[in-house]
Amino acid sequence: MPMGNTANSYGSLAKFLHWSVVLLIIVQYFLAEKAEELPDGIEKLQTYTTHKSIGILVLLLALVRIGWKLINKGNPAPAGSGALKAVAGATHGLLYLLILALPLSGWAMSSAANYPVGFFGWFQLPALVGENHELHETLEEVHEFLFNAVFLVAMLHVLAALYHHFIVKDGVLRRMLPFVRP
Amino acid sequence: MRRSGTRRASCSAALGVGLALLLCTAAQGAVRWQVDSATSQLTFVATQAGGEFVGRFPVFTPDIVFDPADLAHSKFSVDIATSAAITGEAERDKLLRGADFFATGQWPNAHFETRSFRAVAGGTYEATGILTLRNVSRELRLPVSFKPARDGRTAVLTGTATLLRLDFGVGQGEWADTRWVGNEVVIRFALTLVRLPHQYFHS
Repeated sequence: MPMGNTANSYGSLAKFLHWSVVLLIIVQYFLAEKAEELPDGIEKLQTYTTHKSIGILVLLLALVRIGWKLINKGNPAPAGSGALKAVAGATHGLLYLLILALPLSGWAMSSAANYPVGFFGWFQLPALVGENHELHETLEEVHEFLFNAVFLVAMLHVLAALYHHFIVKDGVLRRMLPFVRP
Repeated sequence: MRRSGTRRASCSAALGVGLALLLCTAAQGAVRWQVDSATSQLTFVATQAGGEFVGRFPVFTPDIVFDPADLAHSKFSVDIATSAAITGEAERDKLLRGADFFATGQWPNAHFETRSFRAVAGGTYEATGILTLRNVSRELRLPVSFKPARDGRTAVLTGTATLLRLDFGVGQGEWADTRWVGNEVVIRFALTLVRLPHQYFHS
């Protein structure tokens, strides 16, 4: 499988970036739920620390992904036509926006609460905003809202892929599936 | 008449000598400063999960007697309300004041008191004192910088000290794990001092 995209399939790098972000966001959901349930202690601190590191990883992968999309010209042609094509375009655009906004809102939320944000103990990131209690509360809601948004838009995205695969039968799903040759 | 006049004269002489002594003592005693709480702060830098965060002790009552020319009579004595410590996030503040950290239910204050001062270089000194935190007393060396204003009426006193939280039992049980909460804590203060008028006092 070529690393770059071809006219009828995504390359290995695009697939890797797509699926790793999917997997990591699912992991993030469970880590956040677990951390919230835990009593104040080392394990809670560890869980949030991992959640924050993975969040930064998602942000980095999203940036690489957008960069790769921009420089790797041979993207498969968008599927569908007319209104459906526009909806697909909007959905994809929204997903790119959300996978950037979700980690950024988490990072800012930590900063507003004067919590450090690091990357797996390799390095620490600067605070995005200053200490601000009200902003922290707001960003906490924003972060949760953005997760709900990414969940809903991703569901729409999944339904569209299944529609293409089972109803239109046009191979649109197969071109992003891992280990599948076009 | 003569006798009583002599007595009055000797009385006032004695009073004069006494007054001179008193003034002399006052002049020798180190200067006491009032701390302007609005422009003074006491902060700490701690690390959690490898990242630094800054906390504050907004409530502390410093008693500062300091004169670079009379270090022997200089003394800092400060009560720090650990029960008022803030870190910018309510849950962490609660944890910090709780039994595993400051245990402010039992010990709501920390206390620092200097024992001696040593001049290091122009405007910098090293104080040696005792810090009592969580009922544990330890010696602490505190480098300070004293910058008086030109008119001598105000001064800025700053200092930084590094201590190990576990020396004082701050972080009980699982919190003794220094991989997640660093052992080293940096204490910083910057005080704006306003000179109090000369007065006689015991130090």
